[in-house]
Amino acid sequence: MGNIGSSGDNQVDLSIVIPVYNEEESVCALHSAILSAVVPLSLRFEIIFVDDGSSDSTYDRLKQIKHSDPHIKVIRLRRNAGQTPAMRAGFDAARAPIIISMDGDLQNDPRDIPKLLAKIDEGYDLVCGWRVNRQDKLISRKIPSRIANRLIAQVTGVYIRDNGCSLKAYRAEMIKQLKLYSDMHRFIPAVSTLAGARIAEVAVSHHARQFGKSKYGISRTIKVIFDLMAIKMLIGFSSRPIVYFSLASLLVWALALLNIGIFSYEYLSKDVQSGFMIPAGVVLVLIGSACFTLLLGLIAESVASMGGFKQRDILLYRWEE
Amino acid sequence: MLAESIAAPVIEAEPCADWAARMRRVELSIIVPVAERHDDLEGIYRDFSQAIEEHTRSFEFIFALDGKFRRLYGDLKRLKEEDDRIRILSFNSIFGESALLSVAFRKARGSYLFTLPAYRQVEPYEFSQLYEALKGGADLVVAARHPRRDPLPNRIQAAVFNRVAAGATGVRFHDIACGVRGLSHRTAEEINLYGDMHRFLPALAVRQGLRVREVTVNQDGRDTGCRVYGIGIYVRRLLDLLTLFFLLKFTRKPLRFFGFAGSAILAAGAAISLYLGVIRLIFGEPISNRPLLLLGVLLITIGLQIVFLGLIGELITFTHARDMNDYHIDEILE
Repeated sequence: MGNIGSSGDNQVDLSIVIPVYNEEESVCALHSAILSAVVPLSLRFEIIFVDDGSSDSTYDRLKQIKHSDPHIKVIRLRRNAGQTPAMRAGFDAARAPIIISMDGDLQNDPRDIPKLLAKIDEGYDLVCGWRVNRQDKLISRKIPSRIANRLIAQVTGVYIRDNGCSLKAYRAEMIKQLKLYSDMHRFIPAVSTLAGARIAEVAVSHHARQFGKSKYGISRTIKVIFDLMAIKMLIGFSSRPIVYFSLASLLVWALALLNIGIFSYEYLSKDVQSGFMIPAGVVLVLIGSACFTLLLGLIAESVASMGGFKQRDILLYRWEE
Repeated sequence: MLAESIAAPVIEAEPCADWAARMRRVELSIIVPVAERHDDLEGIYRDFSQAIEEHTRSFEFIFALDGKFRRLYGDLKRLKEEDDRIRILSFNSIFGESALLSVAFRKARGSYLFTLPAYRQVEPYEFSQLYEALKGGADLVVAARHPRRDPLPNRIQAAVFNRVAAGATGVRFHDIACGVRGLSHRTAEEINLYGDMHRFLPALAVRQGLRVREVTVNQDGRDTGCRVYGIGIYVRRLLDLLTLFFLLKFTRKPLRFFGFAGSAILAAGAAISLYLGVIRLIFGEPISNRPLLLLGVLLITIGLQIVFLGLIGELITFTHARDMNDYHIDEILE
């Protein structure tokens, strides 16, 4: 197995991280499905359930399962922290060099796990599931998701067909260093390119939701757009933020010059009766804003360099002897 | 005054004190931060220790003095000679109440901690009620004075402040200004205080998923002074609330806030410019004498700047992602 900077004395080969939130009906079935998929692989594995502050009996069910199966670890969060923090809690606790994440609602099929592992063995750092026959409502889920995936691919330049699928396999070194926060789980492929991750996609099956309700709504679109913008900037900024800010500043300078040109042309040609104060004001505003943008760029630069992007910590590399 | 405050000593400055604090446990730590006004501390101390002794004799009083109470320090030191359950923390310079509390939280040896304001707010006998509530499993117990006995201006201020605070934090407390609070040792370790955030401790705690209970208590009969502050104080409170609102909602994702505000302004500017462009290019009307043009350009540039600020915010959160703690573990079963 092509481990990168392998850590020798891990007691398990595979950690499966499952954030659950109010999934009392699903957890037992999910647990047995995972067992029947993973046990034949003859790997040492652990299953980490992260109970994200469920208000139903999810935690009690998990406790029961825990009694019957030593492979299980249950982490209960104090309150509903959200999917990304819950996943990070699981990643932080995982001990294996390879981690798999999946949804707790039985929509992912654990039988796909060997496919993901095979890809990891080929040397990829991140393997994303791609739900080929997605069993969700067309209007409220599939179409928005398709648009979002297009958009994410276009903006970030990371062409993944299904960012929303939770079934993913990671090399632990990479995902632990990424330090996900807020709603970043949607952008794991994009963010992982920061670390130079090699990404693969694998078609996985998808089942309709059997129990409970979907915890997503359509209202997140605006949030996703701004998050995407932030990710784009982070990927671009990882080198030199000032480049981007000075480009923006240059654009505004160009606009100011263009305005000077237009106004002086109109003023001199006199074919349109024009005042003087307002064009002058416009140009001054533009110039001021251009300078301001450049100054912001300097601040961004100092934040990026001083705040410790710690790039060297996240770069993945291969070492062979 | 300044020279005095520089000379004020710090008790227990050595780093191993924290470890030592954990070794010598008592049941209860009472923390009295003295940052602004204070009443007769000795009286407060006697009244409350009497009330506490009905429950336990294993307690300590920590008086935490901000860096300007030289004389008070001497008085307390004399008091300490009588009773070694008193500990004194005194800052070299003025750092404010939140700093006092967070240092005192670290130094406290009690399994349960109580904060008492340095002035009379709550009848000492009400301690039992609060202590029971805390032992009943709450992570944080806050006292709410009811019915209020102080003059009308105080009550009006308090009511307005509580409502505004509830609006900003999304959590309704009836007396958020009351400094009498009880917390478990674990809560004290988890909570992160700075600036003037100690005031909003209950709201912060709720947001962190802690179990917070509000207990209605009788107001101390001597808490009757009419308090009207300078305008600066009110402005500061408002700023605190604004900060808190932002921190609670958008710390992790500043661009969601700045991006939304910025692009709304940007859109307004673009609409104006578009309108002017249309009437200039299609209808041939002159626009260089229209102040609206200036407004349009101004809105566009301001909107852009706000978005840029949001991007810088994102950069800052991202660079600190590894120090952030987004989740709090309640229990692990292995």
